[in-house]
Amino acid sequence: MKRFMPVLISLMLFMFFLAPAAGEQHTLRILYVNDFHGFAEPYKPLGSDKFEGGIAYLAGEVRRLRAEMPSLLLAAGDMIQGNNWANLFQGESTIEVMQAMKFDAMVVGNHEFDFGQEVLRKRISEAGFPMLGANVEGFDALRPYMIGEVGRVRIAIIGVATEDTPVSTHPRNVAGLKFGPPADVVGNYIKELKDKADIIVVLSHIGYAADRTLAENVKGIDVIVGGHSHTMLARPVKIGGTIIVQAWEHAKALGVLDLTVEDGKISGCQGRLEDIKPVPDGEDRVVMAMVAKYRDRVSKVLDEPIGTAEADLDGEGVRKRETNLGDFIADIMRKTSGADAAIINGGGVRTSINKGEIKVKDVYSVLPFDNYIVAVKLTGAQLRQALEHGVSAVERGEGRFPQVSGLAFTYLPSAPAGSRVGQVLIGGRPLEPDREYSVATNDFLAAGGDGYKAFGDAVKSSKDFAVVGGMMRGEKLVYNDAGRWLRDVVIEYIKENKRIGPAVEGRIGEVK
Amino acid sequence: MKVYVNDIPVDILPGMTVRHALMGAGLLGEIGRKKVYDEWGNEIGLDGTLSEGMKISVK
Repeated sequence: MKRFMPVLISLMLFMFFLAPAAGEQHTLRILYVNDFHGFAEPYKPLGSDKFEGGIAYLAGEVRRLRAEMPSLLLAAGDMIQGNNWANLFQGESTIEVMQAMKFDAMVVGNHEFDFGQEVLRKRISEAGFPMLGANVEGFDALRPYMIGEVGRVRIAIIGVATEDTPVSTHPRNVAGLKFGPPADVVGNYIKELKDKADIIVVLSHIGYAADRTLAENVKGIDVIVGGHSHTMLARPVKIGGTIIVQAWEHAKALGVLDLTVEDGKISGCQGRLEDIKPVPDGEDRVVMAMVAKYRDRVSKVLDEPIGTAEADLDGEGVRKRETNLGDFIADIMRKTSGADAAIINGGGVRTSINKGEIKVKDVYSVLPFDNYIVAVKLTGAQLRQALEHGVSAVERGEGRFPQVSGLAFTYLPSAPAGSRVGQVLIGGRPLEPDREYSVATNDFLAAGGDGYKAFGDAVKSSKDFAVVGGMMRGEKLVYNDAGRWLRDVVIEYIKENKRIGPAVEGRIGEVK
Repeated sequence: MKVYVNDIPVDILPGMTVRHALMGAGLLGEIGRKKVYDEWGNEIGLDGTLSEGMKISVK
């Protein structure tokens, strides 16, 4: 025994100095971003005349704040898809920047699936940090949680994604996957992790309202770092024992949450959002160089030839008459969605493409808005109503004038607005007012843009949407691919077909 | 699904955003002079996703 006493005493002293002393405080910092969507460069948000954001400036701020105390850098989802800077490289650009910034973890957002599971798997393998998704079944590249130590505080981070993912992306992107209720999953993992970590953080991409509900219903969550709702939580919100934070969107803000931990529990917190904008010498130069590299690549991609137009594609007359370009785009929408017909607003077609070589940028110029394809079921009466609305201001050349596919109609411009449409044929047969037809359009019209009410009326009468067998089903909703812009669908079509030469087919007959 | 913009019900499809709700309410053109807030008074981005019954205000 005497021989072992020095060893025993040494061991006791070692344990004494290793274990945090009672009342010993540790401070750590959680830095967080969400919903970046590839907005790498500073930009002027709608209605603003000031540049905001810029990932290089955000990275500069991260570097400065990290140097002040032990820190974690977290991303609450929807990072790799959105802006051309990310989309044209299927998120590779975003992941490269995130790696350079040394993110510690990310939760998968609904838009992370927009390029498909194989691409997401590739991005995860490139990331160098874990991508989390505890409530996502069937995708083994995601981890449910991670445990790390920051300062001398053990932190467990559980990631949860929105259950709405299947209804906000193409069904093929989530085939075979299930997105379960976050609360159940978080509750179970807290039981598993509570003895392994001092602090439990939920990194969530479920939206602020759902974060609040999660905090109310699940005990044991110390912090929720949220995303999905693009909420600017200027200060942390506390619900019960849970601190909730979210950092707005598009790299316009960096969240900073400073925690004081005592005896393995949070004894104090201070949080804020740092506004991110381009300021002289504020950038991280490594990240700035990456942003520039991909910006240059964007230019090259936009300049790539994708096919040939065998005739001029008319984007000028789209607000007054049927054009071959309008027909072409509407045809692609109908075919892609599998709908009976398609209606697009002429105002969404912004320019023409000359006969000859077609480049990516030509299609981007024609379809510059971030619109996606939607298809809903309309009755024949609702479809007629939509067409009436479309031609109701033809004399003023307004953007509502329709370009169509799968149907043909006549109209008399001299008749009163609302009573101009004559015969309507769909699939070559007379339109039946009480019969239902699937009609593709873009999300702008589906949301009531350009004054179109018919699509909204159809949606209003629809019952709940549900995901059945990986496919989104709804009584009136036929197709809904919010993760793929219409212009990219058109580009893919041209690439596949190489030569296009649409002609005006007499789908819209103006009766003089 | 139904959301409320300045207490006016607006029907939108799943996956649609604050921007779509404002379009449906005819208020997108107000942005710049005004901002959008959730029911707890937090500013939200136009590309933020909405859920059934959410109330947002433009002011």
